[in-house]
Amino acid sequence: MTIRNLPLGAFLVRGLAFALLWWVLADGRTDAWGLGAVGAVAAAAASLRLLPPVRRRIGIAALVRFLAFFLWNSLRGGLQVAVMALRRRPGLRPAILEISLALPPGAPRLLLVNAITLMPGSLGARLSDDGRLRVHVLDARLPVAAELRALEVHIARLFGVARGGAS
Amino acid sequence: MTGLELSVALFLLANLVAALIAAERGPTAADRMLTALLFGSTGVGVLVLLAAAMRLPSLVDVALTLALLAAIAGIAFARRAWRGISGD
Amino acid sequence: MIEFASAALLFIGAFFYFAGTVGLLRFPDIYTRLHALAKADNLGLGFVLAGLALRAETLAAALKLLLIWPLALAASAAVTYAIAQRAETLGIAPWRGEEEP
Repeated sequence: MTIRNLPLGAFLVRGLAFALLWWVLADGRTDAWGLGAVGAVAAAAASLRLLPPVRRRIGIAALVRFLAFFLWNSLRGGLQVAVMALRRRPGLRPAILEISLALPPGAPRLLLVNAITLMPGSLGARLSDDGRLRVHVLDARLPVAAELRALEVHIARLFGVARGGAS
Repeated sequence: MTGLELSVALFLLANLVAALIAAERGPTAADRMLTALLFGSTGVGVLVLLAAAMRLPSLVDVALTLALLAAIAGIAFARRAWRGISGD
Repeated sequence: MIEFASAALLFIGAFFYFAGTVGLLRFPDIYTRLHALAKADNLGLGFVLAGLALRAETLAAALKLLLIWPLALAASAAVTYAIAQRAETLGIAPWRGEEEP
């Protein structure tokens, strides 16, 4: 329990976020705000211990751009698979692609592997430690590899990391 | 317009039943694991629709808890698979 | 107007759920079925939640409904990946096309 450099700013921001969460969960009622305040402070303190604030910051602009890209592409992906399911001949031509990721291990790769499943035509099937990802694609004629590169660029920008290694 | 919510909820329930039959018949064990996915999306959808149709806002809390548990279970599951300790 | 938009969103959501179920029944193997469920059903849930959020009585209730979506997405993405990986480990070969049943 050292309090040498208590990150007051992060504590305030997180406490506020947790208070907002409490307000949402309580359906906007304020009759138990005392309990909510205690909860928010405790949650902020716990979160600082579990996930200390890092230097690497995620910019709001990059986050908004990523979310827009993600929502738009998951809509495209859903429409595409819906059309395939409903048309007379699904016209599937499944294949397994193997791509090597240019993102560093950790959160960026984790986000990529999970987001891939919602992108048009692709499904993450296996990520090995050396950053090779096997992707199942619904139709080998679709430009899935190019779309995955675009997703990778967005995630790299979101985390502010360079895309090193293979391209 | 609670009738609309109720009919959409019933429609989703019918989907869930059809999908469950398909998953149960599935040739591999992996097909049966699809039920885990189904309850994440369809089950939560039915709950929130019922909450609106029957004016039972607490069902939204049930849906939220279900989604939260599903997320935690899913992440734990994936983490386990992540390290390759996928014992049968 | 809001009532109409909300109803439209609910219908779109039901459509995506339906497409996901049809995909589950028609697609030939575990991987393609995962595509159908993971993409279509989650989109269906997103539209249903958005439709209900529009007619929620308070802002907090609307936000609470929308809070469900990212959680459901995280859950289904992780479970989908785990199932796909498991299927690969079990050596289930993907279906390769009409000429090879």
